[in-house]
Amino acid sequence: MLVTDACRPDNPIVWVNDAFLDLTGYAREELIGRNCRFLQGAGTDPDEVRRIHGAIAAVEPISTELMNYRKDGTPFWNAMTITPVRDAEGRPAYFFAAQADMTEKHRLELAMKGTNDALEREVGERTAAFQAALEQKTALLHEVDHRVKNNLQVISSLMLLKARRTPEGEAREALQGMAERIGALSTAHRMLYSAGDVTRFDLGEFTTDFLSDINAGLDPERTRVEADVDSIAVSAAMAAPLALMIHELTTNAVRHAFPGERVGRVSITARRNGTGMHLSIADDGVGIAAGPANPAGFGRNLVEMVVRQLRGTIAWHEGTPGTRVEIHIPFSATH
Amino acid sequence: MTIEAVSAGSGMRILVVEDEALIALELECLLDDLGYVTVGVACTSAEAIAMGLSTAPDVALVDIHLVDGPTGVEVARALSADPRTTVVFMTANAKRIPEDFAGAFGVIAKPYSERVVASTLDYVAGCRSGRRPLQDTPDGFLLAPVH
Repeated sequence: MLVTDACRPDNPIVWVNDAFLDLTGYAREELIGRNCRFLQGAGTDPDEVRRIHGAIAAVEPISTELMNYRKDGTPFWNAMTITPVRDAEGRPAYFFAAQADMTEKHRLELAMKGTNDALEREVGERTAAFQAALEQKTALLHEVDHRVKNNLQVISSLMLLKARRTPEGEAREALQGMAERIGALSTAHRMLYSAGDVTRFDLGEFTTDFLSDINAGLDPERTRVEADVDSIAVSAAMAAPLALMIHELTTNAVRHAFPGERVGRVSITARRNGTGMHLSIADDGVGIAAGPANPAGFGRNLVEMVVRQLRGTIAWHEGTPGTRVEIHIPFSATH
Repeated sequence: MTIEAVSAGSGMRILVVEDEALIALELECLLDDLGYVTVGVACTSAEAIAMGLSTAPDVALVDIHLVDGPTGVEVARALSADPRTTVVFMTANAKRIPEDFAGAFGVIAKPYSERVVASTLDYVAGCRSGRRPLQDTPDGFLLAPVH
């Protein structure tokens, strides 16, 4: 603590306590009669000094923290409150100042800020590393996706080129049939990763595209394929088997149900129900028994294999007229 | 499956820009079936731009990934500078198409079916002949936002 005399020139110190002597390292006789400014030094904030001068000139109390210097030249943070004491006429008579050493507090603050900066830097570096890794993985996914799609196009081109060079007959039909199966898989694959949720495949969207493809190759006066398929989101893993199954049953019906000039339609229906999905593919054609014997029966085998893979059940009904295939595909508990 | 040529665009001259030989060859056969004329097959950007200048095709079918890298975008920009040429991307890499489509009319997503190629070219022929096409844009074909 110290007191200065406001009535004498340059506001000199007229009293100090022992604590102030301990704080600054000066002897009492070295302080009495001097202005406090001699405690300031190179690290003292001139703005803060101006603020103190302003308060003293206005005769107002002020609290501040200032860097001061001890007798041995070491700096310390001096937190002080300066209070004016007025005489009977209201003029400033003395200024009373109480000090506390804030050096330790400032050291802690500085250390804390250093730690914070280091942490923020580390977080920043890690975020950048994760970002880079994510970008790399995304680029890789796009590359793989592009390659798969391109390869499907190559496979399909290969089949069709060979079909073109094969004389009309069973071999050519087999090649064209394979190209169409690959086409159905391609349609399913084109819809994967193209937008939104990459883990889901929309059966309704697939059927719309598939229908356009199949009807483009049919005489609309004779055969039509229609679909009434809900927008059912299934897991991406089910996309290829479902696409193959729908393609196989539909083309089978188109190929075998309407011999000669028989006119007819094939309808595809799919509904979500409690435990999974119910699919029905029906035609108003001649029926399996009446159709020509199909020794290979590859289409039917393929469908039964795929249904088994999807843990579903399949039933073939002879209708009047035509054939109706009913399939139930369960969705797993996690679906 | 047979796809019938539609008279509107019959004889339309088409440049194929595709680095995958099998895809290009099958596409050529298909264009022939549909009654179009393939004026050339290019597999690099330089080849494509040179063929564009020498043949001034009606339509250019442009893959984005070519022998010299993802240069199909530049090719589209160069070819569509000629007002006589309609550029259509054919790619499995649609994410690389810039927002302005580099002057292209639209994109056929790979893997495509022959039906999509046929109906897209029919649609393009309709637009080029000035009549507003009656049908919607075909499934599997995406029109550039500026059109």
